[in-house]
Amino acid sequence: MSGLQVRLRSASPIRLEAEFDCGAGELVALVGPSGSGKTSMLRAMAGLWTPADLQGHIRVAGQDWLNTASGVQLSPQQRRAGLVFQHYALFPHMSAQANVALAAGPGWTAADVQALLVRLGLGVLSQRRPAQLSGGQQQRVALARALVRVMPTPQTTSAAPGATTWPGVLLLDEPFSAVDAPTRQALYRELAALRQNVSVPMVLVTHDLSEARRLADRVVIVDAGHTLQTGQPARVFASPRNARVAELVGIQNHFAGCFFKDQPGWGRLRWTDPAQPAQCIDLTVVDKNKIGDGTPVTWVLNGEQVDVLADGAPLPVAGQGRTRLRCCLAEVLSLGEISLCTLTPETLPGQTITLNLTTRLLARLQVGAGGWIQLLIAPGALHIMPVREAAA
Amino acid sequence: MDWPALTVSLTLAALTTLVLLPLGLALARWLAVTAWGGRAFIEALLLLPLLLPPTVIGFYFLVAFGQGSPLGAWLAASGWRLVFSLEGLLLVSVLVNLPFMVQPIQRAFAAVPHSLREAAWVSGLSGWQTFWRIELPLAWPGLLAGMALTVAHTLGEFGVVLMVGGNIEGETRTLSVSLYDKVQGMDLQSAHVMALALVGVSLLALSLVLAFDRVGQRGRALQER
Repeated sequence: MSGLQVRLRSASPIRLEAEFDCGAGELVALVGPSGSGKTSMLRAMAGLWTPADLQGHIRVAGQDWLNTASGVQLSPQQRRAGLVFQHYALFPHMSAQANVALAAGPGWTAADVQALLVRLGLGVLSQRRPAQLSGGQQQRVALARALVRVMPTPQTTSAAPGATTWPGVLLLDEPFSAVDAPTRQALYRELAALRQNVSVPMVLVTHDLSEARRLADRVVIVDAGHTLQTGQPARVFASPRNARVAELVGIQNHFAGCFFKDQPGWGRLRWTDPAQPAQCIDLTVVDKNKIGDGTPVTWVLNGEQVDVLADGAPLPVAGQGRTRLRCCLAEVLSLGEISLCTLTPETLPGQTITLNLTTRLLARLQVGAGGWIQLLIAPGALHIMPVREAAA
Repeated sequence: MDWPALTVSLTLAALTTLVLLPLGLALARWLAVTAWGGRAFIEALLLLPLLLPPTVIGFYFLVAFGQGSPLGAWLAASGWRLVFSLEGLLLVSVLVNLPFMVQPIQRAFAAVPHSLREAAWVSGLSGWQTFWRIELPLAWPGLLAGMALTVAHTLGEFGVVLMVGGNIEGETRTLSVSLYDKVQGMDLQSAHVMALALVGVSLLALSLVLAFDRVGQRGRALQER
């Protein structure tokens, strides 16, 4: 076990229940709204947050950094955690070089530190103080200062290349939130390049979903101190485990309904409008035998798997098992090639579906705002989740 | 100019600053970071000399260390005389100067963002190393301000000096007491010289304090960027 394993539980001052792993060289993003406890988890890993009732363990490469069962608790100094603070926390009275050298272990010479700074594009700036650097440059100094804590000492590498993997962890606390957008893009690329050379677990805390999606191998969705779901970004975004996760990952087309069993292997998803319980639409879905008959559910419509037909067009032959839905184009917002469309189903006018349709398709169908179209919804476009039980 | 009085004043100012610096530093650093509930009371106690008339402090000092008190008698038996001596003057001077030394240093330490301490710990620095290499270099304008204020205030102290030290030439007669003497003796020429010297020194000290404070503010502004 060369990675990081985190199992944490606390009741106060923050309710916390965290469970996730991060392999060596892997980048895991803790994603959640502000106040969700993701930064506390990161600080607990660094040894900076140690409430009295914290229970569980933090294990790095088989070594306990924290284990409340056996009474192990390493100090921040003893842990090999390279932490990039949200506002960098660079030492203002020291040069960039001195900031990094301060964190470097005994095996690092001044030349090694300088070489690292050069690699991060800070070579000519190494004698400047933080106040004389731009936000992006400060961020890179902070990254260098964190890296020297987790990188193998240069001399060890030359003596036995690849033999020693330093049991460190790189921790990034909203590292890109304080820089402007172009700088952020450049830093994303640098982080990606850097990952080729660093083989320690990396944990990134962010509230930015697209950032997590772009940088992380896996995401951990955090809410109210709980780690709700862990998985590859595409998987978590496509199939959130429950309604809260769906809400947190900003999924559109998220509705309430009820699941009924039908013929073997098939089910019916009854879509209802809570405001008008009398009306409903039945959608054909696949029954995976995970949800009982008559269970209230929340569900998500994946707009990328929806076909659009002109109003009145006949159902294509391959339309078996697909549900036909006549909708009014309530609103069309043209964004160039893509148009953001808001649709209301004929039988459930109180509900709205949001779809990104190509402007070309709308032109071909000769339809605009106020017009009607048909949606063909394949069973695979529907993701059904049980209504999340009240937080334990 | 009363040269012996000037020497006494300068000696007293230097010794007070020297004794008070480590004491004030420890107190100020502790007050800046502690979460202890009794902090406000300690802070009030330290500020008390600013509000109390010097005569009150002098009076209690005489009560505590005079020949009549058990402590004073015990000290006298062991060969120490605190009343009407430079040592006694030094002790009371340290007490009344506490707020002048502690306040600026405490403010300077409180202005060091806690995240810098955490960054130092995570970088492997021990608590002591963090103090010496991170906190102290950032708080030094506060230290200088505290020292300048202490020197200026010690040179200007009058009431408590007169009550505790008396008026012994070359031992406890400071410049401000000597000035009082000269005015009493209608020697206005000498009084003018000494008064001007005190004004000059105080003005210099205050200018230094303000200059250091500005350096400190600039440092803080840099950290917040």
